[in-house]
Amino acid sequence: MIMRGSRPALTPAQQFLFLRNNPICAGEGSLTPTGLVWNYKVRPTLLSREYSVRIVFDKRDTPNIFVRDPDLSVLAKGRSLPHVYKKPTRLCLYLPGSGEWLGIMRIDQTFVPWTATWLYYFEEWLESDDWKGGGEHPSENDSASAPRRLRRYNR
Amino acid sequence: MNTMTKNFAMSTDTLRRAELYNLLDKLCQELEISDAQCEAAQQSYEAVTAWLAASTHIELQILNMYVHGSTGLGTSVRPIGRDEHDVDLICHVPGFSPRRPPAELKALIGDRLKEHATYAAMLEEKKRCWRLNYAREFHLDISPTVPNPACMNGGELVPDKKAMLWKPTNPNGYRRLFEGRARLMPRLKLQKTIMARDDAQVSIEPFPVQRSRKGILRRAIQLLKRHRDVLFLAIKEDVAPISIIITTLASQAYEYCVNSFEFDTELDVLIATIRMMPHFIEKPVVAGKQIWLVANETTNDENFAERWNTEPERAKAFYRWHTQALADFERFAGLEGVDVLKTELAKSLGARELGVVFGAQTKAISDARLDMKLFVAPTVGLMTAAAPAYATQVRRNTNFGDR
Repeated sequence: MIMRGSRPALTPAQQFLFLRNNPICAGEGSLTPTGLVWNYKVRPTLLSREYSVRIVFDKRDTPNIFVRDPDLSVLAKGRSLPHVYKKPTRLCLYLPGSGEWLGIMRIDQTFVPWTATWLYYFEEWLESDDWKGGGEHPSENDSASAPRRLRRYNR
Repeated sequence: MNTMTKNFAMSTDTLRRAELYNLLDKLCQELEISDAQCEAAQQSYEAVTAWLAASTHIELQILNMYVHGSTGLGTSVRPIGRDEHDVDLICHVPGFSPRRPPAELKALIGDRLKEHATYAAMLEEKKRCWRLNYAREFHLDISPTVPNPACMNGGELVPDKKAMLWKPTNPNGYRRLFEGRARLMPRLKLQKTIMARDDAQVSIEPFPVQRSRKGILRRAIQLLKRHRDVLFLAIKEDVAPISIIITTLASQAYEYCVNSFEFDTELDVLIATIRMMPHFIEKPVVAGKQIWLVANETTNDENFAERWNTEPERAKAFYRWHTQALADFERFAGLEGVDVLKTELAKSLGARELGVVFGAQTKAISDARLDMKLFVAPTVGLMTAAAPAYATQVRRNTNFGDR
């Protein structure tokens, strides 16, 4: 069980209900024995593409955000995607250890709006080749496993 | 939930088209002469008017200087690669007889301008007019006119291309007719939907319905003129359709469309207007020969397409441009992806201004995000202002990731 102060983390079932009831991520999904899967479509702005997003959450980990369609790598035409975790490709939407994400928070109020924002900056980046959405990358001398370590810390 | 999802699906395409029109409207604000430039131009030409009227030449002492052309109509577009807008002025001299040659009146005005040291340094002679260059701001092109006694509609006479003969024109009458057409409001289904449906509140309320301050006709003309400027940039021959032809045909087509049809969005009005334009080119048979005619409806004997009859490549160039413009705007309406849209619009309408418009949007989103005033709403996505209660705030986050 994830604990921060006196508040317990939200359960996958609670997260599932919040996702199902928020119109910004209207979609469908299912509960698994230890987590949830949620699929929805989003257009970061009316002029943007429509993206199919899958949220995979296991209560022992942090939520993983996959963009299933269109293929981001194809859109990037060979360029390396900014601000993603690789293998498999997932969006990196918060700084581990910063408190931006905690288990007591609602996924529909964090990862869902962050995904829309990320996708906006992604389309902007496709054209300008300049990521304007801010953020950090692990510094060069960090070990390759740093992000995963930090995510574990944050659970 | 299902009903709501269905509403979103029904309205997304319409909302997207409306949003694209909003974007084009912002583009036009970048293309046109700014209010400040307009004010500066007005101060300048008022000073010029005073200087001319203070002439010892009796004919110049009563004159009426007024803006015509695109600045007068509100359809100005900055020439590509230049900072200066062209501001066209009519210098109407009622005391000068149309029986005297136009070159004499032109010389009279030119001589008076040259008496002023500042104006003399800025002055440039054009075939039919005098140009005063205000560096990096605008040009004032001053065309002399005299009353046209044969026109019942208050028309005037301007020097012809070589300043040898007077030919009829009617800038004031044209402007009145144009403004009447520009005031016509199309019937838009989107507006009706928003007003009529309570249940539509969820899906449509957050959409920023902004009625353009200028109206669709002026925007259509600005976009078409810029599209022409870009298309003919690489073409050496002087065959591009002239602005007055685009303006006249678009006005007639707009009036027809607005009176005949109902539209989903402003963008659909724009596209329908473009599509209808060629139908207003007349092809009467004169002296056994078919001619091209785009008439000035406000005076007799002014054919804006006069040169098409001696230079047929001009007519061809018009049709080629028109086909391309219609295809391009129809294509824009179907594009999805901010990147694709920016690239394609920049190709056809100018990279500099598109860069400004999209840059401002990204900055607005980034600023709102920092100020915790960025929201996500259903269907419309990111919103920087006036978020409805069911929108979700974008909390602060730091994008991270593997290298």
